[in-house]
Amino acid sequence: MTLRLQPVRVATDSYDIDGQLVFADGFPAAVLVKLSAYHEDMAGMWFLEAGFGWVDTPNRPTFADLDTAQAWIEQQLADAA
Amino acid sequence: MSSAPDHHAMNWLIRKLESIARLSDKDRQAIESLPVRIHKLDARQDIVRDGDKPSHCCLIIDGWACRYKLLSQGKRQILSFHIPGDIPDLQSLHIHTMDHSLGTMTKATVAFIPHENLRDLTARHPGIAAILWRDTLIDAGIFREWLVSMGRRSAFEHVAHLFCELYLKLQAVGLAGNYRCPLPVTQADLADALGLTPVHINRVLQEMRGKTLITLRSSTLVIEAWNELLRVSEFDPTYLHLEKRATG
Repeated sequence: MTLRLQPVRVATDSYDIDGQLVFADGFPAAVLVKLSAYHEDMAGMWFLEAGFGWVDTPNRPTFADLDTAQAWIEQQLADAA
Repeated sequence: MSSAPDHHAMNWLIRKLESIARLSDKDRQAIESLPVRIHKLDARQDIVRDGDKPSHCCLIIDGWACRYKLLSQGKRQILSFHIPGDIPDLQSLHIHTMDHSLGTMTKATVAFIPHENLRDLTARHPGIAAILWRDTLIDAGIFREWLVSMGRRSAFEHVAHLFCELYLKLQAVGLAGNYRCPLPVTQADLADALGLTPVHINRVLQEMRGKTLITLRSSTLVIEAWNELLRVSEFDPTYLHLEKRATG
């Protein structure tokens, strides 16, 4: 399974708008959003704004960087298989 | 540490019970005579754990506590917040195994009341038994309202609803007034209580501040627009069943 990222601006109705659309084998699997300075110690982290299917967990994690985020998404999809 | 009556401690329970019902002088005296063991606890310290079989109930005298449930991977759901006057594990008198945990949120002072003394009190004072039953029923009503919030209110409405509820509960026991109240609760705690993420809580608080609905700083909540908060959350205080009294 290959993940591909596409930068996108997300209408979160907040200051957090810089995002990445995450495609898994060509299908949108998740939307990640970079947390703005407003979030203080979480500023700069990546937040799972939305997930589809097995990536759609009730607990929405935040990730230190995009690599960690992608690793987590891959794990969710692998668990599903 | 042995148990002994403590009027100061029991005053909190009396204040809480009088916010939901009338107490006779005899009832008040009987409650004041309950032997208790006072303990001072740190913040984030468990009082009773999921699966425990306690032999006493815990009355909060100072500080805040919460009931919570922990699942795998540290997933926590806070089930309710508790303030001075509350006995969050009253159910342990009749349900012997805890199905959730109770822990402090701040440094706290608690009074442990042995079950046998509480049972004796309720047997000899059916009026008090009825009021404790009423308190448990209101507790259930609060859970129902939380269920509605969890399922059907937006994040914004949900936070607004909680703020209204906490303010009224604190005001009822004399811990809040003039639309100001303590709120020694982190954003992670709010997230775990409302089934949201700290990110959503942050965004909602930002929006509320932007609209000058609230000020939240140094663990103090100031509600700047009470009516608007009520309206937005469709808040109906009936479920708290607070006794109306002349404000003193």
